[in-house]
Amino acid sequence: MELLNSLGINGKLLLAQIINFLILLFVLYKFAYGPVLKMLDERTKKIEKGMKDAEASGKKLEEIAAREKGILDEARNQAKEIVKRSEDTAAAQAEEIVIVAKDQTQKMVETAQKQIEQEKNRILAEAKSEIANLVMAATEKIIGEKLDSEKDRELIKDAIK
Amino acid sequence: MDISLVPETIFHLGSFPFTNSLIMTLVTSAIIIGISFFVQKNTKLIPRGFQNLFEAIIEYFFELVHSVTQDKEETRQFFPIVMTIFIFIIISNWMGLLPGAGTVGLHEVKEGKSIIAPFIRSGSADLNTTLALSLIAVFTANFMGISAIGLVRYGKKFLINPFKKPYFIGTFVGVLELISEMAKIISFSFRLFGNVFAGEVLLIVMLNLVPYFVPLPFLFLEVFVGFVQALVFSMLTLVFLKMAVTAHDH
Repeated sequence: MELLNSLGINGKLLLAQIINFLILLFVLYKFAYGPVLKMLDERTKKIEKGMKDAEASGKKLEEIAAREKGILDEARNQAKEIVKRSEDTAAAQAEEIVIVAKDQTQKMVETAQKQIEQEKNRILAEAKSEIANLVMAATEKIIGEKLDSEKDRELIKDAIK
Repeated sequence: MDISLVPETIFHLGSFPFTNSLIMTLVTSAIIIGISFFVQKNTKLIPRGFQNLFEAIIEYFFELVHSVTQDKEETRQFFPIVMTIFIFIIISNWMGLLPGAGTVGLHEVKEGKSIIAPFIRSGSADLNTTLALSLIAVFTANFMGISAIGLVRYGKKFLINPFKKPYFIGTFVGVLELISEMAKIISFSFRLFGNVFAGEVLLIVMLNLVPYFVPLPFLFLEVFVGFVQALVFSMLTLVFLKMAVTAHDH
């Protein structure tokens, strides 16, 4: 006890210090650590949730981008197909048109030829009858007398042949 | 110059002696409680200013305790006492560095000599304070040990049957464990007391030898010592707590 006294250890003071520290511990536990730790937990949770949300939205964004790309690809393919189809159709139509035109020209040419032939024939016939008449007139003048018109004509026809 | 190992009594309240170190301890507690109320009142989910600092300290310590315990439940149990010991010791150590420590005080006549009873004396420069802290630390460790693994299993650490396997060696180890609990209290209290008291003595001596500039490096040294001692005390408490709640499987 002499030693404790010389070191200044005093039961009352010791008890006072112990009680003091316990009060401090209680107050800090109640008012500082509890709320601060709780709030830290809360914040951690909130940040975790935020990160998770951000990740989810990032994933969704990626998904949307992929889908967008798919749609674009499809549209591009469709456009290509449409262009190709229309090109094919156009080519086919052009061919058809050319064929029809050729046909028509052919027909027109044929008709024209026929008409020319007919005209020629008609003119020839006319010319023949004219010539016959002329010859008849000339012969009449030369012979001075008119032959039987029926016989005459036959004669001339034979001569022209 | 007369430096006393025993804290000087400033006044008596009844038969209760209010020593300078006790008064400083109360002031320290008041400061810490005041800060904690301030922090608690202004705690918000989105931190600003001071709150960041306190949160950083508390979170850092929480992680430190967790790195030792590796157990969420134990961390929650140990953290308050470890943190409080650290804060209390560091503030009380630094209080002893305030200007006027050991020099400004009441003039007293004791055993025919005139001495100064300084108003400021660090709480840790009083064996009563350090002994109180170490008693709390060691008793808490033992109490937590009992509540964690049961009275019987915990008691087996100290009382080992001499007629079983390691025979009297086991019993001897048990007795040593019991003594080591005593040694913990003594080493805890004297380490802190010795460091802080020596620091105060050193500062007073330097101040008396060369009053200007020369004591400055020692002042910085004492700031560092105050931090280190607080950390050592709290970390050792944490380790003892962890050891106590860990069951010894023989």
